[in-house]
Amino acid sequence: MATKEVKTASETKELHISPVGRVEGDLDVKVIIEDGVVKDAWTEASMFRGFEIILRGKDPQAGLIVTPRVCGICGGSHLYKAAFALDTAWQTELPPNALLIRNIAQACETAQSIPRWFYALFAIDLVHRNYARSSMYEEAVRRFAPFTGKHYELGVTISAKPVEIYAIFGGQWPHSSFMVPGGVMGAPNLADITRAKAIMEYYRENWLESVWLGCSVDRWLENKTWDDIMAWLEESENHYNSDLGFFIRYCMDIGLDKYGGGVGRYIATGTYLHHELYTKPTIEGRNEALQQPSGVYDGEKFHEFDHMNVREDVTHSFYEGNSMLHPWEGETIPVDPADGKKRGKYSWAKAPRYLIDGKPITVEAGPLARQVACGQEPKGKYWDHDPLFLNLIRTLGPSVMVRVLARMHEAAKLYKKIHEWLDAIELEEKFYIKPKELPEGKGFGATEAARGALSDWIVIEDGKIKNYQIITPTAWNIGPRDANGTRGPMEEAFIGAPIANPEDPIEIGHIARSFDSCLVCTVHVYDGKTSKELAKYRIVGK
Amino acid sequence: MATALWLQGGACSGNTMSFLNADEPTVCDLVTDFGIEVLWHPSLGMEMGNQVQELLRNIVNGSIPLDVFIFEGTVIQGPNGSGRYNMFAERPMKDWVYELAHVANYVVAVGNCAVQGNIPATPPNPTDSTGLQFHRTEMGGFLGKDFRSKAGLPVINIPGCPAHYDWITQILVAIATGRGKDIKLDEYNRPQTFFKTYTQTGCTRVQFYEYKIPTEEFGQGTRKGCLFYEFGCRGPETHSSCNRILWNKQSSKTRAGHPCIGCTEYGFPHGELEVGTIFKTQKVLGVIPKELQEGIDPVSYMVHAAIARAVAPKWANEDMFVV
Repeated sequence: MATKEVKTASETKELHISPVGRVEGDLDVKVIIEDGVVKDAWTEASMFRGFEIILRGKDPQAGLIVTPRVCGICGGSHLYKAAFALDTAWQTELPPNALLIRNIAQACETAQSIPRWFYALFAIDLVHRNYARSSMYEEAVRRFAPFTGKHYELGVTISAKPVEIYAIFGGQWPHSSFMVPGGVMGAPNLADITRAKAIMEYYRENWLESVWLGCSVDRWLENKTWDDIMAWLEESENHYNSDLGFFIRYCMDIGLDKYGGGVGRYIATGTYLHHELYTKPTIEGRNEALQQPSGVYDGEKFHEFDHMNVREDVTHSFYEGNSMLHPWEGETIPVDPADGKKRGKYSWAKAPRYLIDGKPITVEAGPLARQVACGQEPKGKYWDHDPLFLNLIRTLGPSVMVRVLARMHEAAKLYKKIHEWLDAIELEEKFYIKPKELPEGKGFGATEAARGALSDWIVIEDGKIKNYQIITPTAWNIGPRDANGTRGPMEEAFIGAPIANPEDPIEIGHIARSFDSCLVCTVHVYDGKTSKELAKYRIVGK
Repeated sequence: MATALWLQGGACSGNTMSFLNADEPTVCDLVTDFGIEVLWHPSLGMEMGNQVQELLRNIVNGSIPLDVFIFEGTVIQGPNGSGRYNMFAERPMKDWVYELAHVANYVVAVGNCAVQGNIPATPPNPTDSTGLQFHRTEMGGFLGKDFRSKAGLPVINIPGCPAHYDWITQILVAIATGRGKDIKLDEYNRPQTFFKTYTQTGCTRVQFYEYKIPTEEFGQGTRKGCLFYEFGCRGPETHSSCNRILWNKQSSKTRAGHPCIGCTEYGFPHGELEVGTIFKTQKVLGVIPKELQEGIDPVSYMVHAAIARAVAPKWANEDMFVV
């Protein structure tokens, strides 16, 4: 790691890690360690592309082309919420088939991301030499070593299968724009549907059940508590030795269940709008029509998600001012980082916050957030109710391991939902209803990308975009401090992490990657230097 | 055997994601069967921080030879030429790009951002983004029109937003198996083998194009017709192999009812995303498409269209892609 280290009398070390790779984009992390434990942290997004600026004054539908290209990893998710933002602004009507296809495509993108992220991005750290003393290390290498591990190549190649389904409906993945206000661009034929089902069966047979779970999808989904998971682990050798069984045991052996917990507060905007309940998309009717629930968990109880409570604070971001605005009023006015640093700014990410009783709080977005949201009492007819992860955070507490498990848990659920939605398509019915292109309007669209809550706010005036603001899951998670000096969720997750070897702090990598912060997803990113208060220490290059 | 380094500038990782979808060869096959040694890639690299900086320095000073330098994303030059909108390993990314491009045998721009600046370079181009050797349709870009890599070639441009995985992997195999000399480039330095044909070559809607039968509506309306007449499809004038080498082994935009948006051409996004340009055919006098296929003038078009419509058989007006 571009590890610059500072030694002081009190055994305080400062590490500046640039870049932390494999988080899709450039993320610079600075942490302060005392006695082998992280005491403070700064996450600095180091790249800016200005998409929100480019969108101003453009065709109202420009977001359908531009926003998927904010992030090639979750481009289908960008398209999903951009289409709904226009649907709400233009007050369209959607045929049930269009909602089904959008849901299938969004779910396939996430089903792709689960193995690709786990094997290609996360698990290769499990073979890091720091863990060579674990008795399970050799087996970890055999399974997860990059390019040569037994399951590495399988993980990468199987991940290409679900997006074949995306291509069947949308032409290609990544970067289709096939979801449009009023529906979807195409109309599938019979073989498109049957082939899609066959592809999901391939995914189940060749990876999900045989390699990952070691049991049927239904058996895994019977687990409702951590005790259930422990019993499942011992129930059969197939469970114990599956990649999931091995991963759980290895985490507990090397301590990934012990750190990286974060703020313990979560935001889910929810997704998968039901094909019967959202044919007339409105912002007000959104929560009820979800299948993947929304909600904000404050550490004790749940609050209903209301987009009007979302703010972005730019006090420590490389943008003009120190405002905390709702995205419809949001601004994106970049400053030269060289000047920004003099004003205490250090990241291209804005700092999203959620207001509870008018007070801004930091919340974590991601698979763990939405699986926790599944634990609340359902507030919609089709809300997924699944107590497993609420149980995990309340018994075990959040950690790197729990965050990863939440993500992997979704593969089983999505496999079932994709089949269910494919079966519900009525091929002879409509896939599109031509909307009126209203010259004025405000829209809000949101979804859950693989890596968490993703939302667009659009203001249309005089037939063009007046304002367009995007909040990505990465911004929720890696955003910097706010006006109150409160750390962002990932910054907070570093606190308390044990660092075995400051020369090679793999633990920081695990935490960063457990959030899967595809940094290009933030839209705005930059590299930091030592913050002022630390300037008194002499920085020694490695 | 070949060493490869892949970096990302103003990028979305879409080309990397496309690359990971590869089949015949898979990304792993490139390493194990074709001896391509991936020195580092932002998604796939094991090293962090200092280890990367050390690697990059060793490549620049020549102690680690670099056969292929692959760049994804725009070269970000702002603000005020400083490159500070995109820092990487403690330097502006553009400075790394300049040095690495000059020590590599081959330089490959993967995806339209690295090729010509693409969406980040769309007005008002807030980051002063540009491509490696083109800025939009003008040759030049960041490295300049006279740039040649050590093998004597200009930047090999693999455009597309994103580039199809096959366009990337087959070029890498060509280099690794000694067929670099067979990579013939067109005037935009694109490999002709992929970019001589049109997106329309192999499109399932081409019969409707010939008889001038439009698709009238999205959704169920795409069961017949060609998307060129109403939905701004650029398939007839865009060079790509999207309908010869299918996406994700399954389909293509136009097959799925999605008008081609011309993302392998250097004017993309065409019309700069201005009002009225998205998924709508721009017309002259309300009827003639403003942009026609290469080599066709409006008068020939009108004559051809009148005859084609008159002789169109009955089936050409019926749904073809039915349930």
